[in-house]
Amino acid sequence: MKTRIRSAVLALAAATAVLATAAGCGSSSSTAASTAAPPLVVYSAQGYAQTVIDAFQKATGIQTKLVKDSTGPLLAKVAAEKSNPQWGLLWADGAEAFAALDGQGQLLKGYAPDVPLTAAGQSVFPQDRSYVPTGITLAGAVLYDPAKTPNPPTSWQELLSPAWRGKVGMPNPSISGPTYPFVAGMMSQLGGEDQGKAYFSQLKANGLQVFDANPDSLHALTTGAIQLDLAQSSTAFAAVVKNPGLKVAFLNKVSLLPSNIGIDAKAPAAVQDEAEKFAAFTLSPAGQQAMLAGNPSGDSLYWPLVNGVSPRQGVPPLDTVAYQTVDPYVWGPRESEINSWFTQNIVK
Amino acid sequence: MTATDHSAPVPVRTVPSTVESTVDGTGRRRFSWRRPAATSLTRLAWSLAVLAVVLVMLAPVLGFLLVAISPRAFGQGDAWFTLAPLASALSGSTLQALLNTAITGVCAAVIATAIGTALALLFGRTQVPLAGFWRLALWALLLAPSYLEALGWTRLAERDGVLAALSGTDITWLRQLVMGPAGVVWVLASRGVPFAFLAVSGVVRGLGRDYEDAARVHGAGRWSRLRITIGMLAPGLWSALAIVFAEAISDYGVGATLAAGANFPIATYALAGAVTNFPADYPGAAAIGWLLMVLVLFALLAQRMATRGRSYAVLSGRSRPCRPVPLRGGRRVLALGALCVFFLLALGVPAFGTVSASLLGNFGSADASSFTLQAYQQVFERSDLLGPVLLSLRLALITATIAVAAGALIARVLARGARARRGGAASLLDLLMLGAVALPAIVLGAGYIFTYNLPAVTALGIQLYGTLTLLVIGLLAGALPQASRLLMGSFAQVQDSLPAAARVHGAGAARAWGTTILPLLSGSLLWAWLLTFADRLLELPLASMLYPPGQEPLAVAVTTLIAGYDFAGGTAVLVVACLGILAVIGAALVLFRLLAPAGWRRWEQR
Repeated sequence: MKTRIRSAVLALAAATAVLATAAGCGSSSSTAASTAAPPLVVYSAQGYAQTVIDAFQKATGIQTKLVKDSTGPLLAKVAAEKSNPQWGLLWADGAEAFAALDGQGQLLKGYAPDVPLTAAGQSVFPQDRSYVPTGITLAGAVLYDPAKTPNPPTSWQELLSPAWRGKVGMPNPSISGPTYPFVAGMMSQLGGEDQGKAYFSQLKANGLQVFDANPDSLHALTTGAIQLDLAQSSTAFAAVVKNPGLKVAFLNKVSLLPSNIGIDAKAPAAVQDEAEKFAAFTLSPAGQQAMLAGNPSGDSLYWPLVNGVSPRQGVPPLDTVAYQTVDPYVWGPRESEINSWFTQNIVK
Repeated sequence: MTATDHSAPVPVRTVPSTVESTVDGTGRRRFSWRRPAATSLTRLAWSLAVLAVVLVMLAPVLGFLLVAISPRAFGQGDAWFTLAPLASALSGSTLQALLNTAITGVCAAVIATAIGTALALLFGRTQVPLAGFWRLALWALLLAPSYLEALGWTRLAERDGVLAALSGTDITWLRQLVMGPAGVVWVLASRGVPFAFLAVSGVVRGLGRDYEDAARVHGAGRWSRLRITIGMLAPGLWSALAIVFAEAISDYGVGATLAAGANFPIATYALAGAVTNFPADYPGAAAIGWLLMVLVLFALLAQRMATRGRSYAVLSGRSRPCRPVPLRGGRRVLALGALCVFFLLALGVPAFGTVSASLLGNFGSADASSFTLQAYQQVFERSDLLGPVLLSLRLALITATIAVAAGALIARVLARGARARRGGAASLLDLLMLGAVALPAIVLGAGYIFTYNLPAVTALGIQLYGTLTLLVIGLLAGALPQASRLLMGSFAQVQDSLPAAARVHGAGAARAWGTTILPLLSGSLLWAWLLTFADRLLELPLASMLYPPGQEPLAVAVTTLIAGYDFAGGTAVLVVACLGILAVIGAALVLFRLLAPAGWRRWEQR
């Protein structure tokens, strides 16, 4: 009897200890938040995010904290927090996701930093100013090894020919965030969703290999399991930096894939103000410098959209590439349906 | 504990009790004290304790599951009540994935329990040559995340992979075998072997040789004796089956690598796909979560039906530790050969694949000229990894300590509930604990966000989301079921007469526990702590969902490295971290041997 009471008390004590630690740690962070200006919480998948945050904190003194993850898990976290968002600013590749978040009323509208933009830069700014593009990459660059593949393809239709049977690979759009803009861009330039689905089905019939994410398809390219890797341009350039034997080709046409900043519509005004300052900073000379320096063998290999800023060495001028702009407000809302179709028909 | 407790002999029973007789697993009639009905105070205390467990650990599980039927309550859809996600999960490719999951889970559980039992008997009853080495190998197997093992196999067997580069030819049949259902079952089973081993070996340790010797005296042959031993091992065996099954059906690493490559869909992969797709389909994912819980319920029912109404309390004051017999001649060769083959397939091959990948500078492709130690050099030069390493160490230390303390309490409740055949609350606790194992960690993580980020919860002043505390609680929720399940087999063996005897001689409750049960279970407790510590140090899905802004745990930092195309760097950090964990385990075991009283070590894990 007594043993039972004692063990019950022991159990209670253990439970209380857990709760007490919980309360203790919880309160320490909440008191910190209530006394000083609220910190800006940045959710970002960009490889240069920490460098830009460090530069931003140094320049403005605004306390900024980073939650870093791949685009897919970050967007999943944003969705889970929908009823009570904890992020102040979301920074990731691909306009479609931002257009969809805008459609759900999750983004602050009407803010755009006043900077001189390139033509490509102007074309990716949304009408309602619900997000701020900060740099440009291209969806569907062709990465290949000239030693194994001396004659790369010259058009998208050529990939359906027997010459490329079983030699083409790409990541899965429902796992790798920046791959959906490529799929949507192909559908857009082929005349619509049905034509696009027919194209990918033919590509599949011709032995298309689909990998989970970019590192896996890169790995398959270097082992020789595939000869052409359809990747995001920054990924392709990063591969060339690590393995100078590889080359990048752009077929006619490829789609603009901007990195964007979105500001939480439900955040306190003070946080939204800090987030706007952050967005302005990224497009300032100092911010662009940090973006170009932060991840030299990765995301820093982008095209700046501010006039007067040059891309890193190894990135060719954007006007040498035939590119198109895809309307994210048309293709964003279709992402779930198209990705599910892709998983069930192309991946399997 | 007060001074009076020690000075005056305390009557063991303060209210009249009755004696009842039961028939235990060996067919022997035994007499025990039936506990008097609990008073309302005790009941209240237990209800409060259970409430704390439910609120802190299991509300998130329920929160996530509710998303499936009431998406709107969590801002995930328009319907307040709907069954559509469940209906969709029970059709088409998701249903196929669930069936695949159930079949691979059962196969993995049976294989893992068979191998784990064989290892437990081998280590517990014989003097295996190089026993320390094999034990270390078992731990290495436990530590390796399943995706690493699957990745190792893939790297070896893939087209133009390491094996093809070494042998010069493409081995198609091996690739098809490895990257298919057989490979999936093998990786899940070999991952489960350490769990099965730990669950069974606790029971083997306590069994001694008395019962077997008694059978021998009565003329039983080798097979009869084995049957008797296996019969008495039943709690451990069923524990092992249940936990390996739950672990296997919740595994994501294999689903994302081997199974995905082989077009062999399994439930966790479909579930994760629903979450990482954009926009995330949480109701769909939650519906799959429900069905995984139902699978666990079936496993538990099977466990209950098999062990119901029997007592396996064999560890009494007269129990003697088993004296291991030396292996000689053919048996020695056979045992060594079997151990070599198992560890080569379970550990050696994938380790070779992984390590070779981390030595390759070039996205892990095989080329003799590209082997380099550069990645390992960088691990020790990177100052940005120091913070994540220290943070993860701290989290793992705290989580392991709380998990073992709470796990011991839960194991005791479960063991008593099972013995008394009247544990309604105990069996509910058991279901919830195993359910928490069966839910993939990504689901558990999302559940914590849903529950602790609800505007209503934050309005109550509970600001847990985004703090290290919630991360610890999340890690704890993932670790507690394992810890309690591993300890349960050992707790089930301890007869109540031991602490009762201590109480008769005037010891207080704590002293009675410390001088009777603690020495018997100290080895199990230590191993459970080490297991939890090692397992939590590199935990990824929960950490990535719940880590506070600006405070990256190690696993998240490593994933960022790999996602940033630093494949060699990422795997090198993992290899170094695993070696570090092995060093901590070695140190803890040496300390235990040096510092623990001799009586404790008598029952230490062999």
